[in-house]
Amino acid sequence: MEAIKNAFDFSDFPRLDRVLAAGVFAALLAFPLFPYSAFAMATVIQFFMFSLYSMGWNTIGGYGGQVDLGQAQYAGIGAYTTTVCLLRWDIPFWVSMPIGVVIAVCWSFAIGYPLFKLKGHYFAIASIATSLVLKDVFEVWKFVGAARGLGILPSKYQPPDFLRLIFREDVYYYYVIFGFFALGLLAMNWFRKSRLGFQLRSIKDNEEVARSLGINVRWAKIKTYGLAVTFVSVVGSFHAVYVKNIEPEDTMSLDLSILIALMAMMGGAGSFWGPVIGAGVLIPLKSYLKEWLGAAAGMVGMDLIIYGVIIMLISAFEPRGIWGIVEKIRRRTRI
Amino acid sequence: MDILLGSLVSGLLLGLVLALVALGLTIIFGVMDIVNFAHGEFLMVGMYAGLLTAQATGLDPLFTLPVAAAVGFVLGVVCYTGLVQFLLRGPMIAQLLGTFGLMLTLRNLALLFFGSEDRSLHHGLLVGRSFDIGMGIIVSATKLATAVLAVAAFVGVWLLMNRTKIGKALTATALNRQGARYMGIPTERMNALAWGIGGGTVTMAGALIVNFWSVNPYVGLIFTMIAFTVVALGGFGSVPGAFFAGLVVGLIMEIPGFWDFFSLTFDLRWMADIPITSFKYTFIYVAYFVIMLISPRGLFGWKQ
Amino acid sequence: MALLEVHNLVKAFGGLKANDDVSFQLEQGDLLSVIGPNGAGKTTLFNCIAGMFAPTSGRVVFGGEDITGIGAPAVARRGLARTFQVYVAGGDLNVLENVMVGCFMRTGSPARARRQAEGLLEEMGLKELGRAMVNELPVAAQKRVTMATALATEPRLLLLDEVAAGLNPSEIEGIMGSIRHVHGERGVTVMLIEHVMELVMNISRRVIVLDYGRKIAEGSPQDISRDPQVIKAYLGEKYVRDHVPASGGAPA
Repeated sequence: MEAIKNAFDFSDFPRLDRVLAAGVFAALLAFPLFPYSAFAMATVIQFFMFSLYSMGWNTIGGYGGQVDLGQAQYAGIGAYTTTVCLLRWDIPFWVSMPIGVVIAVCWSFAIGYPLFKLKGHYFAIASIATSLVLKDVFEVWKFVGAARGLGILPSKYQPPDFLRLIFREDVYYYYVIFGFFALGLLAMNWFRKSRLGFQLRSIKDNEEVARSLGINVRWAKIKTYGLAVTFVSVVGSFHAVYVKNIEPEDTMSLDLSILIALMAMMGGAGSFWGPVIGAGVLIPLKSYLKEWLGAAAGMVGMDLIIYGVIIMLISAFEPRGIWGIVEKIRRRTRI
Repeated sequence: MDILLGSLVSGLLLGLVLALVALGLTIIFGVMDIVNFAHGEFLMVGMYAGLLTAQATGLDPLFTLPVAAAVGFVLGVVCYTGLVQFLLRGPMIAQLLGTFGLMLTLRNLALLFFGSEDRSLHHGLLVGRSFDIGMGIIVSATKLATAVLAVAAFVGVWLLMNRTKIGKALTATALNRQGARYMGIPTERMNALAWGIGGGTVTMAGALIVNFWSVNPYVGLIFTMIAFTVVALGGFGSVPGAFFAGLVVGLIMEIPGFWDFFSLTFDLRWMADIPITSFKYTFIYVAYFVIMLISPRGLFGWKQ
Repeated sequence: MALLEVHNLVKAFGGLKANDDVSFQLEQGDLLSVIGPNGAGKTTLFNCIAGMFAPTSGRVVFGGEDITGIGAPAVARRGLARTFQVYVAGGDLNVLENVMVGCFMRTGSPARARRQAEGLLEEMGLKELGRAMVNELPVAAQKRVTMATALATEPRLLLLDEVAAGLNPSEIEGIMGSIRHVHGERGVTVMLIEHVMELVMNISRRVIVLDYGRKIAEGSPQDISRDPQVIKAYLGEKYVRDHVPASGGAPA
């Protein structure tokens, strides 16, 4: 099928990019074979997770230009679906995760239809509103453990359990999320070349012109939103079995939504590498800041102060993010 | 019955203060099409300003308004000249995320300086005192006084916008930027001024609110949402809209009170079983969503 | 059966009638120009036909089908394409990608869309500019890009909105050639809004004149240039004296 061929075809990237990316990819693949600290591994796993979160966001937020600050609710849907399925009915991850996606996509269609009547800051705030409402509901809903959340006890299962994704060592989780990461990149590669991707970019460019070219704007946005929440829900499911302890405040918070949008924007919203770069910069920054400044600094929000400042600087001077700077330099050195 | 009336009055009083909170946002939006995500954080700054001034000087909290207003004005102007004026040149995404970054920074600076615990006022002329205004309705004295002051501040700002030369210049810039420029109005300075007045207005509201609402670095978000809901309902850019919408939203926030009234009066168990207070803010979020879908222009607004 | 029929079209904005009872027909293969002073309602007419606005009253029938008020995407899919006078672009898509968006209306395959777009660029003389950003191009090239993009949707009828605005004489020649190619070789029916009279007079088979929302004249370029109503409203004495022999039209 042409779609699959497109997903694997990276030939329109510059040679340098392809070589660098392949190198990093190989390094990440081999990473667990060398001595590593648990901390480093956890950081890289976080990097993969947030790359995927941001890639999903990037479809509607970057290519589509609709800044969505409510993605955390879908991480929650994925996480809770997987956990509840496991705890109540012993459903393995590989079944519960797709179920989570289905629920997430259905929910996204339900609120997407009205939501995409809005644009700009109105849309952003409305997306926050929907996410907070869902979180509030989860905080009192006994079925999902309300505010205390739910926990998975590894001792109840026999790790390494590949069906339920319960492991004792992080390295198993590493390769699972790495696999998803690779799939995510392929999916994004397909997306940016696909009809839907082009439609979105046209919409972002000029909606009236897009409509005159036969594009049904609202429907295109809703479809893309469905794609975005798929990414987020999958990672949410993974998060549940990795962390084994979820609660609304941690899984569905506004802070998570902000972080997702932030990474894509900082790396370069609307570009292919943007989300990965953004996650690649912000996750290590966050983790190592906490290490150096001590846990107290994390409590005091020092890392977030720095993010806030970075975001302000980028918004003011280079809204196209790090990738925007790279492209600018490229254009200058070539011409 | 008195529970119902009590909730009603409480909601309206709160609504007056919320109107003031939203007023700042609507002024800024009216003059330049930018929406301040850090609006709630400005309010938080006002709350801390009011609290700390009262504690430091022993002044009754109600007299800390001028200090809060000054702090807010300076904060607004600094934010404009240091950040927002650059954001205005960029795409809308940049504007959104820029004020977002401001929100993060302010919130966490507060966390750094003040810690995460709730703080509230314990002294003051009217703290803890209540009035009986007849029909068995008990009204907290602070709430009443704050509402009165909120109205005064609201009227003051309205007069500023409509009766003073500077205010008229601001309104002119809001209505027609190019035209104002041709008239010789320095629009750049008008922008900074709008942020200053907007900031000062909301910090004043903060200094008032802290009399009955405790402050911590995280209160900003809910007030941002409240402010947006008020402005969405009243219409972005409309001052009278902010007033009436504030009252409505104040009532919305009293829904738990009305709920309790209905569940007690009609003895409805199922109503009592639902932990309605947990949803106190949820109604605000839902209200925002519904308002934006039905009538993005709001009641009085001219900008979409 | 006429390709396009406009019946008693009225478009009012509040109290102002931008289009007031406009009717005309367009046959397959026609090349019609709509002219008129500024504010005559030409662009509003286009927008009503192309589905951007729903008319206040009246009907638009395309290919025998009533398309009144069905919305721009639906109109485009039925084979009615348009260009835009002022193209405000975010600068995100390059020329080739722009045209590809048009191609994607007819195909779901990126490879086919790309091939078709490249073919169109070559046809419109834009082959080398494929990777350029639209907003960095000179105006004349931008106009051809918008034409190429509209053509990518394989329309039966193409509406060109002031496509010669801002062009110098040699560029106008160029765009005339493009229009002739589209009309002649591709067989697309064309309808233009224009202010540039050389283009109108040289290329149109028929002309419609609007003034204050009403249609005040219809006919061949020669006929309308002699029509006293039109002269009074729009053309001006000098042009008629210089270009139209034995006009017989008395100046106002």
